[in-house]
Amino acid sequence: MSDVLQSLFVLGTSHHATPLDVRERFALTQPQALELQQRLHGHEGIRECLVLNTCNRLEIYGLADRIERVDEIRELFCEKQNVPIELFQQYAYSHNNLEALQHVLEVSTGLDSQMVGETEILGQLKQAYTKARDAKCTGNVLNRLFEKSFQAAKAARSQTGITRGQISIGNVAVDLASRIFGQLSKSRVLLLGSGEVGEKTAQALKSRGADDIAVSSRTFENAHKLAHELGGSAIDFEDFKAQLEHFDIVICSTAAPGTILDRSIIAQSMKRRPERPCFLIDLALPRDIDPAVEDIENVYLYNLDDLSTIANENLTARKAEIDNAREILKKHAWNLWLQLRRRELMRNI
Amino acid sequence: MLNEIAMTDKNAFAVAAAIYGGAFAFGLVALLMRRVYPRAVMFALLVGGFLIQTLGLNLRGAEIKACPLGNIFEVAQFIAWSLVLLFFIIGPAFRLRLLGFFTAGLAALLAAGVFAVPAWDRAYPPGIFGGNPWIELHAALAIFSYGVFAILSLVSIMFLIQQHGLKKKQFKGLYQYLPSVQQLDLMAKRLLITGVIVLSASLIFGSIFWVNNHELVPVFKLTATCLIWLGYLTVFVLRIQKKLVTRRHAIATIILFVLAIASLWPVQSARDSESQATGAPLRVER
Repeated sequence: MSDVLQSLFVLGTSHHATPLDVRERFALTQPQALELQQRLHGHEGIRECLVLNTCNRLEIYGLADRIERVDEIRELFCEKQNVPIELFQQYAYSHNNLEALQHVLEVSTGLDSQMVGETEILGQLKQAYTKARDAKCTGNVLNRLFEKSFQAAKAARSQTGITRGQISIGNVAVDLASRIFGQLSKSRVLLLGSGEVGEKTAQALKSRGADDIAVSSRTFENAHKLAHELGGSAIDFEDFKAQLEHFDIVICSTAAPGTILDRSIIAQSMKRRPERPCFLIDLALPRDIDPAVEDIENVYLYNLDDLSTIANENLTARKAEIDNAREILKKHAWNLWLQLRRRELMRNI
Repeated sequence: MLNEIAMTDKNAFAVAAAIYGGAFAFGLVALLMRRVYPRAVMFALLVGGFLIQTLGLNLRGAEIKACPLGNIFEVAQFIAWSLVLLFFIIGPAFRLRLLGFFTAGLAALLAAGVFAVPAWDRAYPPGIFGGNPWIELHAALAIFSYGVFAILSLVSIMFLIQQHGLKKKQFKGLYQYLPSVQQLDLMAKRLLITGVIVLSASLIFGSIFWVNNHELVPVFKLTATCLIWLGYLTVFVLRIQKKLVTRRHAIATIILFVLAIASLWPVQSARDSESQATGAPLRVER
C-alpha cells in the first residue's frame, strides 16, 4: 500500500492506431461512459477512475491497488461492449505511473490529437474530470493529476507555438476574414451552394461574430433548410448576382460544372462598393469563381487549395513544436510525479 | 526652471531619438522572434522619448523665445513630436496593432536623421515670426498637420503591407500581426480629413499675415506649401467621391508625404537666402 502510485494507469484506444471501423465498436455514448465509470469505481481494488470518451479516443484513467487490475478492467470493458478481448488488445495501449502522467499531459495539451495543438480536447477532458469528480470517482491523486495537467497544458501552449495558426479550412477562412475586416460582426456573408465544407466555413464565421448569413442554392429547399440551421435567410439562386454588392464574404461550394461568378460580375459589384473589401472563398471543385477576379482592386480570392496550403503549413509548424512542448511537459510530469509520491507517503505515515 | 536643467536641447533631442530607435528595435526583435511585443512596453518607451523630446523643444523655445520652427532640424523634431503625440491619441482609441512600432521607426528616423547634416540646425535671425502670434499659430498648425500626414503615411504603408500579404496569400510573419485592411483604410480616411482640415486652418491663419506682409513670405515657400495643400485637397476630394480608394489612396498619401518632407529643404533654403539678402542678423551659433 505504501507504493500505491505504482499502479496509476491509463488504458485506452485512439485514432493513432485504431481504424475508424474498430473505434466504432469500442465507442460509448455519454451515459454508457458514465455507467462504465461508476462500475469501475465500484470494482474491487480500484481507488479512483475516470473515463474519457471522445470521437477519437476512449481512455480509462485509474489508480488501483495493483497493476494487474488493468487486465480485469480490460476484460470488464470487452464484456460490456461485447467485443473480443483479442481485438481490444490488438489496438489498445496502456501506460503506468510516470508514463501515464506524461500521457495525460500530452493529451490535455493536444499533442496526441489528430489536429496537433487543437484545444477541444482540453474542454472534453475538463468536462470528463468535472463529471468524475462530482460522481466522487476521482480522489486525491487523480484530482491533482488532472488539475495539474490543465496548468501544464496552458504552460506548454503559451511557451511554444503548438497552437499557433489555424489548421481547419473554416478557421483559416475566419483568420483571413479577420485580416480583411477586423471584427466580423458587421460583415454580411453569402453562402452559395450547400456543400459540407461551405457550411462548416459559414459556421466558423458565425462562431466568430458574423451573424448576417444568407444562403442561396439551386434547390431552394436546401438553401432554406441550411439558412434555418445557420440562423440566416435564403435567397433565390436566380437573384443572388443582383444582390452580390451587399455581401462582404461570399463562400462558394456549389456543384456547378463551370464558373458561376466571372470577372465582369464581380467588377460590376465592386463598382458599387469601392471602399468596402470583398472576400471570396471558392471551396468548389470545379471552381465556382473565375481566377481572373483576383486582379480586381479590393477583392481577395482564396480557393480550396489556398486554404489547404495555409492549414497544412500551420500544421507542419505546429508539429515542429511538438518536441519543445514535450520537453516542457516532461518537467511538469516529473514534478507532479514527485509531488504525488510525497503526498501518498505522507498520507500513509 | 528650464535654466536649472543640466541637459542641453540637443542632448534631449539625441536621447529622445535614441529612445525612439530603441523602441523600434525592441518591436523589430519581437517580430523577428515571431512574437507580439507587449504594447505597454512600447507605449512606455514612446512616452519616455516624447517627454524628453518635449523637454528639448521647451529648452529650444526658451532660448529663441518662440516656437522652435526656424530651421529644418527644429521642423523635423516638431514633426516627430506631433507624430508621437498623435499616436497617443489614435493608438489606445483604435488599438491599431503595430502602429506603435511603425511610429517609433518614423519618429527615430526623423529625430535622428536631422543630426546627420549639421547645417540643418543653422542659426536664424531672432524674431523669425516677427512677434506675430498668428504666424506662430500658422507655423505650429502646419507642422502639426505634417505630423498627421506622417501618421497617415504610416497607416498607408501598413495597409499596403497587409494588402500585399492578402493578395499574395502570405500569412506568416508581419502580416498576421497587422490590423485588418478595412480598419487601416478607414483610419487613413479619417487622418486625411483631419490633416486637410488642420493644414487648411494653418493656411488661413498664414494668409491673414501674408495679405499685409507679402514681401516677407518667400514665393518659393508659398508655392511649395500651396502645392502640398492642393495635393492633399485633391486626394481628399477624390476620396470623398470614392474615386481614389484603398491601394491608390494609400500610394497617393505616401507620395504626398515624401514630397512634403522633401520640400522642407528647398523651402528652408529659400528663406535663408531671403534672410541673407535682407541682411537680417543671425542668432548666435549653437
